[in-house]
Amino acid sequence: MTTMVVNGVKREVQAPADTPLLYVLRNDLELSGPQFGCGLAQCGACSVLLNGKEVRSCITPVGAAAGKEVTTLEGLPARWAKQKGLSEAEAAKTLHPLQEAWIEEQTPLCGFCQNGMMIKATELLERIASPTVAEIKEAFTTSGPSPHLCRCGSYTAIIQAVQRAASTMVKRSVA
Amino acid sequence: MSTDLTNVFGASLSRRGFVTAGGALLASFGLARAEGQQPAGVVDSLNPARPESWIEIHADNTILIRTGKSDFGQGTIFTAYRQIVAEELGVPFEAITTVVSGDTDRTPDGGGTFDLLMHGMPNLRKASAYVHQALLDLASQQLGVPKDQLSVQDGVVSGGGKSVSYGDLVKNQKLNLTIPVKGDVNSMFGLTVEGDPPLKPVSQYSIVGKSFPNSVIVSKVTAKETWVTDVRLPGMLHARVVHPKTLGSKLVSAGTVDKARFPNAQVVVKGNLVGVVAPTEWEAIKAAQQVASGTKWSEWKGLPGDQRLFQYLKEDADWKTAPVATSTTNKGDAPAAIANSPKKLSATYQLPYLKHAPIGPTMAVADVRADGTVYVYAHTQNAQALRTGIARMLTTSVDHVVVRTFAGAGHYGRSNGGNAGAEDEAVILSQALGKPVRVQWTRQDDLQWSTQSSAAISEVELSVDGKGNLSAYEIKHYMPAMQDDRLVGAILAGLPTIPAPNEIGSLFGIANAMHDPWVYDATPAVLERSYGTSQIGQTSSPLNVGLRDHSLRTPGQYQQNFPRELAITEAAVLAGVDPLQFRIQHAREKRVIGVLDAVRQNSGWETRSARRVSDGVSRGQGVSVMFRSGTYWACVAQIAVNMTSGAIKVEKVTVAVDPGIVINPAQLKRQVEGGAVMGVSIALLEEVRFDESGVTSSDWRSYPIATMADLPEIKVVLINNPEVGMYGQGSEAANALAAPAIAGALFDATGKVARRLPLKADYVKALLKA
Repeated sequence: MTTMVVNGVKREVQAPADTPLLYVLRNDLELSGPQFGCGLAQCGACSVLLNGKEVRSCITPVGAAAGKEVTTLEGLPARWAKQKGLSEAEAAKTLHPLQEAWIEEQTPLCGFCQNGMMIKATELLERIASPTVAEIKEAFTTSGPSPHLCRCGSYTAIIQAVQRAASTMVKRSVA
Repeated sequence: MSTDLTNVFGASLSRRGFVTAGGALLASFGLARAEGQQPAGVVDSLNPARPESWIEIHADNTILIRTGKSDFGQGTIFTAYRQIVAEELGVPFEAITTVVSGDTDRTPDGGGTFDLLMHGMPNLRKASAYVHQALLDLASQQLGVPKDQLSVQDGVVSGGGKSVSYGDLVKNQKLNLTIPVKGDVNSMFGLTVEGDPPLKPVSQYSIVGKSFPNSVIVSKVTAKETWVTDVRLPGMLHARVVHPKTLGSKLVSAGTVDKARFPNAQVVVKGNLVGVVAPTEWEAIKAAQQVASGTKWSEWKGLPGDQRLFQYLKEDADWKTAPVATSTTNKGDAPAAIANSPKKLSATYQLPYLKHAPIGPTMAVADVRADGTVYVYAHTQNAQALRTGIARMLTTSVDHVVVRTFAGAGHYGRSNGGNAGAEDEAVILSQALGKPVRVQWTRQDDLQWSTQSSAAISEVELSVDGKGNLSAYEIKHYMPAMQDDRLVGAILAGLPTIPAPNEIGSLFGIANAMHDPWVYDATPAVLERSYGTSQIGQTSSPLNVGLRDHSLRTPGQYQQNFPRELAITEAAVLAGVDPLQFRIQHAREKRVIGVLDAVRQNSGWETRSARRVSDGVSRGQGVSVMFRSGTYWACVAQIAVNMTSGAIKVEKVTVAVDPGIVINPAQLKRQVEGGAVMGVSIALLEEVRFDESGVTSSDWRSYPIATMADLPEIKVVLINNPEVGMYGQGSEAANALAAPAIAGALFDATGKVARRLPLKADYVKALLKA
């Protein structure tokens, strides 16, 4: 049995400790954000935050998440609300600024990779408030085990959405 | 009850009083099905003759629309379709609150997403126009005002000082309009709405042309979408398939499950299909690995291998059996003109196999029930064609098969004939086990057992005259058969499928046919021909598999446009004319000239002769043109070439697109940006690796695609041409444009012509040394 905190809630799962976290999140906890893309940590579709750091859940054994905090796409609004100290009522109707930006920029095409893109962007903007285009490209290509791949070619829209979210988040921090 | 049948615009119209409990025109699924009770175990599509199969107007003025087509990331069914229906009906875009798509038991028409706009006349456009007329008739009757004195604004019909909303109009009424259709819903192309209903004049458009957002994006970025990967049925088993060792290997003996390690797993063998199932996904994965290690296959070596691919196509493949296709725009005596010309070019162009390479490997859930009905949960762009294929495989009738479509990873044409790969395997395993089964392909399965876009070679001969004009052009295209829509699981299991596409092409003629319309009308002599052959390895494979080929976005056209456009650039250089000006000089169609002018103005195109080399980097520019599905395209690529390493960096891609009427500028722009990135990827990186036995590309390292680091600046220029009166389609064409423009830019930057893709650094480096 493994105990971990998933999107702010303590969860106990029975899956063997060597089960990749991805299958536990999808099949046992019925979360649909992280997707199976390669099972090889080569694409980023399965990304989640583990104690705030982006990891590839397809190769991370659930045992390695024991006692740690896992954030999936589903947990981004609550993560933002907690960081901003929003009330529960406010939090319930809040999206993470990155999700808002992804909608405003109409970023996804098929959208299958975008979970990993938003998770990576969350990690980036928590580290660098206003990244340059070069820093964004570095985050999505060389910072992790592999580049985050989008077969539909939405990279331009991703950069624009990250920049839009960064601008919103900086403004809301000042306000 | 009154009945009033008339024939209007080709449709039979009648009206009849009708009382429903809910007061809506029609509020539930199923009522629109074929009249009469369906026998047990039979689940058919909605009756296409019924208006409410397409469009349901509710008493609260909300509207539901249905289409047999599905979304593959274009967003068309959630944006353009709603805009078109809202425009024809005269309701706000937001009134259309629900889009039902791609489920064979909940939609009327079928067909694939390759035909979303159907050359400007999607079925829903005509269906809306019919419904609009029927609503006006009803309003005329209710208000006592002649139809020609009525007008519609935001779903309210007004005239003679009176008004009524559509919602009130249809309350307690049934439009007994019969929508005329032709075609076969279960075929590749589905049904077409017939007749000639009056359409709203383009000059009065207020909704088409605006950038409405794609509603499905919200559910996708907030993790509320039900993806096909999220489908879970009670008692469902997880499965992995142990595919044969080679593309021609037969099963010798299947491995067994070590029950001590995997107590809940089991092996299912049918013919050469080996499946491993377990209640949990991880047990299925590990048990499948163990079973695979113990499974024995016969050996087979029947492929030329990628190193011999082009030699094989040139020397070994049989191009003589299939009839030769010729272009309808051929004219003059090109061979004679070329023979007599002093300035000429003779060259061969080579394109490798490409993968659709969806970010998520294909998967599906199937539920073969005790009553004989089969439910398939899939991500397919042609649900009715998949339904037909599954019914054929099981030797049952289509009305026992239901395909439900969900969001999934885009796969760019792979499923336009129905299947993407795993659906039939899920059905076979579910039938064997009597339980729902979820088959998930691995990344390796998806690269090695899916179809691919055909390799091709083209031979060009051309000549230019002393005045800087193309005097004659001749091209021969050679491409193996494409559009293999057979179900691979059915092939492995020895179950019925359609035949493999043969050397003359296939059912749909994607092989030795002319796909790339000639756009240089001023050329006096043109001879374009296309030759076909069988799929490589397929006829010699004991499995009848080999390298199966399939549409990828611009099937056949990409393979013909690359050699043509690079050859035209070479012709311009031979003639001493700027390649962009050379194209304009040979075009007569003003829309071709229009897109070329647009890329010239927006890309920073320079008319010059001297190369610019600094710090070992040389920069160049190239251009390409394409006409596809009613849409004109031009592209300029600006690149930097490292003269030492041969590495190419694409710095800027400018694409101009003229589809006639631009339905949704923001969505089209995003589609074109994405296609341009795929184009850069194809130009620089993509090539299926294979040996004598099968595909050796097995992951993203052995089949690399473009990353964000490869992203150029992309500029999209949309040309709205409402006077054309048509919705051009084919935004996927953007993927084909970049490669010939980039190869042209390499020629400009280095003076070397690379006539083979991909333009990897080692290849370019070798060219630079030559």
